[in-house]
Amino acid sequence: MKLILSDHDERIIEHCPATVEQILLEAGINPLDVLVSRNGNLISEDTVVGDEDEIRVIRIAHGG
Amino acid sequence: MNQKVRGASLCSRCDEPAVVFQRDARRHLCAVHFMADLESRVTDTIKTRRMIMEGDRVVVAISGGKDSTALLLLLSRLLPAWQNVQLIAITIDEGIAGYREATVKAAEDLAHRLGIEYHCIAFPDLFGDSLDVLLKGRETLACSICGILRRKALVVAAQRAGATKLATGHNLDDEAQSVFMNALRGDLPRLIRNSGADSKGRFIPRIKPLSFISEKEIAAYLVLKNAWNELPECPYTRYALRREVRSILSDFEYRHPGTMLHLMESKEKIERSCAGPLFSAPLRTCRTCGDPSSGDLCQVCLLLRSLGR
Ligand SMILES: [Zn+2]
Ligand SMILES: [Zn+2]
Repeated sequence: MKLILSDHDERIIEHCPATVEQILLEAGINPLDVLVSRNGNLISEDTVVGDEDEIRVIRIAHGG
Repeated sequence: MNQKVRGASLCSRCDEPAVVFQRDARRHLCAVHFMADLESRVTDTIKTRRMIMEGDRVVVAISGGKDSTALLLLLSRLLPAWQNVQLIAITIDEGIAGYREATVKAAEDLAHRLGIEYHCIAFPDLFGDSLDVLLKGRETLACSICGILRRKALVVAAQRAGATKLATGHNLDDEAQSVFMNALRGDLPRLIRNSGADSKGRFIPRIKPLSFISEKEIAAYLVLKNAWNELPECPYTRYALRREVRSILSDFEYRHPGTMLHLMESKEKIERSCAGPLFSAPLRTCRTCGDPSSGDLCQVCLLLRSLGR
């Protein structure tokens, strides 16, 4: 599975299927600090993603 | 199987895939039901706390950032159902190079798109110089200095617009962080002074309709409304204590869901039991500007003096 981080860095994650939450924690990201989308659609953290998926992390930066 | 649904839980209210999982309510919601739920919670907050009443002129402080963008979108959607309530959007341009230009533009575009009266008021007009200039050599104090001046600027802007209420986009995370920071500083009075409780007819009441909506929910709402903008972050936040507190509280909230809500509830309990005694002292007026003040000079005049103005 391909994980695209908010700084456009990309990582390949091996241990799929896994939940979005597990993948974020593995990458050292607090799930509350980000949104995650798959093919442009928001998905919840308990969504199970597989090897063929590409998910994008949107960081919720602080901006008033 | 449908690309959108694969591996996703379904909405608790329909058969669409969930876009959020609300951990406290243990509930999944699809895009449509999540937006409806958020809108009804904001309506609830406004109604039960009597934030907006018939005939109000509500000035909404919009920075162009996500919270105030969401607030303006929500209010412009919810308020037509209220009896003759007017919205006016205002931006404070502090003068922060490399940050404010894009956000002021975003704020102005949003107000125009929604057909809402819009004004922008700049620091140099009020305080003689931009924040960047006022701060020279004091960058580490940026957020506290800017906070004091912004608050003043907002009040002036709201008065000029004939506001009866001043609405800001503070969300649950912001509010919980403020409670935590004030507790860490041992500054309980400030906690209460920041709230809408200090109206007493001398101030325009501040309202925070998003104070029970998390930052993450606001971001999700904007993404779903196609209003998510990647805008520059304020360059001064790197000096802010708030940034550390934000990260600590966010970790805590993740491991102990409900932490932020509990901080808000504590604040409200303190407000209910302390507001009377704290505000019974008669207010004085500032010797320099005539604004209500707890001492001889108001906070703004004290600050400007310390900045050599
Ligand atoms: Zn639904
Ligand atoms: Zn003064």
